[in-house]
Amino acid sequence: MTAATRAVGSERRQLFIWLLPPLLWFTVFMVIPYCLLFYYSLGSTEYMTFKPGLSLSNLVRVFRTEPYLSVLLKSARIGALAAIGATILAYPVAFCLAFHTRTSRAKFLIYLLIIVPWWAAYLVKAYAWKTILGTNGLLNALLLSLHVIREPLTLFLYNQFSVVLTLIYIFTPFSILSIYAQLERIPTSVLEAASNLGARPLETLVKIILPLSLPGVIAGGIITFALATGDFIAPALVGGPNAVMISNVVINLLGVAFDWPMAASIGIVVIGVGTALISAAQYLEHRSQARF
Amino acid sequence: MTAIIEARQLQKNYGSSVAVKNVSFTVTEGEFLSLLGASGSGKTTILRMIAGLERPTGGQVLFRGEDITHVPASQRNLRMVFQDFALFPNLNVWRNVAFGLRLRINRGRVTKEEIKARVDCFLETVQLSAHAEKLPHQLSGGQRQRVALARALVTDPPVVLFDEPLGSLDASLRKAMQLELKRLHRELRKTFIYVTHDQEEALGLSDRVAVLLDGQLLQLTTPETMYAQPNSAAVARFIGTANVITGTLHATADRSACVELPGGARITLGTSPASLASGGAVTIMIRAEHMRVTARSGQPAAGLLARVCERLFLGDKVRYELELGAAGARLTALEARERERFAVGDEVQVTADPANVTVIACGEQTAGKLA
Repeated sequence: MTAATRAVGSERRQLFIWLLPPLLWFTVFMVIPYCLLFYYSLGSTEYMTFKPGLSLSNLVRVFRTEPYLSVLLKSARIGALAAIGATILAYPVAFCLAFHTRTSRAKFLIYLLIIVPWWAAYLVKAYAWKTILGTNGLLNALLLSLHVIREPLTLFLYNQFSVVLTLIYIFTPFSILSIYAQLERIPTSVLEAASNLGARPLETLVKIILPLSLPGVIAGGIITFALATGDFIAPALVGGPNAVMISNVVINLLGVAFDWPMAASIGIVVIGVGTALISAAQYLEHRSQARF
Repeated sequence: MTAIIEARQLQKNYGSSVAVKNVSFTVTEGEFLSLLGASGSGKTTILRMIAGLERPTGGQVLFRGEDITHVPASQRNLRMVFQDFALFPNLNVWRNVAFGLRLRINRGRVTKEEIKARVDCFLETVQLSAHAEKLPHQLSGGQRQRVALARALVTDPPVVLFDEPLGSLDASLRKAMQLELKRLHRELRKTFIYVTHDQEEALGLSDRVAVLLDGQLLQLTTPETMYAQPNSAAVARFIGTANVITGTLHATADRSACVELPGGARITLGTSPASLASGGAVTIMIRAEHMRVTARSGQPAAGLLARVCERLFLGDKVRYELELGAAGARLTALEARERERFAVGDEVQVTADPANVTVIACGEQTAGKLA
């Protein structure tokens, strides 16, 4: 063994020592749980106790038995609406932050205003919407005092609308930061060149800025969609019986029905669909990513 | 010759710092004008104010006599070639070049066929037809430069603005592009306003050169005049290699004049500045290539006594850095044909033909020591 190979060997050992903690973490908290999930999904239950097995019948049940598939689709629809709403709200904010905030102090302030709500617990923020949309809530009080309505309305709360609204509120910052990061990469001179060639602001937006920011929009959209689709606090707090989402179903299967194989199977389907969607988005993101 | 662009008392302040100080000049139709200055001299700011990308703090920009100071950049018929090229990263070469024309299609001023013909023609002109489908990041620096050029020229603008367009190219490519620009200017007969920090580039390309220092316009004239007759020590030092010397004027009996340096040495002038009385302070300039370095002949009156500090062989010439007498002042001499070779430390004498000694300033503001 020469000195050089010994040196390489010792470098490898050092690298291994550094990598060990994250590797352990990754194995214990990600690989093993995935395996367990898969293991449970293949089993069955008898008298509310788990029985190991090798059956795909639970996976089939997700698609064949009501209400699993329809709840799954409803969750995806709510997630998509939340993602679209968050993107529409986030884009102008990110745009102002990137192009119309002159001083770095103002930029920092807006940045702070976007981030600070995250310091509050999600539960509290979701609960806040209850006090806004409820029968005795702020919105009804406002409409009553403006004499728009005579009696408090109940249609604001405990439906899909209130769930989507809450999810948009919670996840918009993800979209803002994702779009902002992309807009920030566009050199000022490119926008100046567009206007120098005769493009009005709207033309520059449509022909240059929007296409260049597309990867950020897709990335923000997919994060928001994934987080919103799998959410269980918003439907539990502000959603009524009509707004039950897939995570609520899974929690009930685990904690009430003790049907772990069914819960695990739904998990597998959600992970599968999620992976497919994220891969597709990644591909689109990569294709639309302009290099500067 | 009619004026196409006029800057009137342009001023630009950033907070308390002044970037451009009361600059006025006129650009005539079809002219190649260079704005020359070091970084921070305000040359780019002036160009950007003409383009409408920067709002002047004071003053006006006129286009064919019309005040366009408050016209938005997109409504000005001036095209700019940016320093970083500023190509649209999401559009291929063809679409980058077509961008300006395609905007006009929406306003019914040009047809699709015309656009195709013009874009193809200009891609041909800049030799990029084979790369029409490529995206900017797939091109080399020189190719990107040519796309930027084609994109600016294709819309047939009367004025093209250049912001250090060759700054990011390597030396050989820069030389080739300089020739290309000169040819395009001659063939297209457009007005070019060109910002550069490279004095050689400015002298070689332009019909007239404007030298800027600290936001002020020092001199605006033809390259030849600027080289031979700079109006200040700052301009003399910026253009070419100049020795700027301050001394006292001495009229002699035979109606010629000379400048006496603090050390006592004298430099004979070709023509005596009529306006100045003997004994006044005067600043003269001698170009480095007009300095002759010879061995000491024993007669001190024949020239300035100096010591060689450094000798640099530059290929087509030799550069001597010289230390003058006890005052420690430095002179530079460029010898195109080195008759005698001197080494560092050699004692030499330096002479200049009186016809090549230029008086650039008289009076007390330049009085004092050797520059």
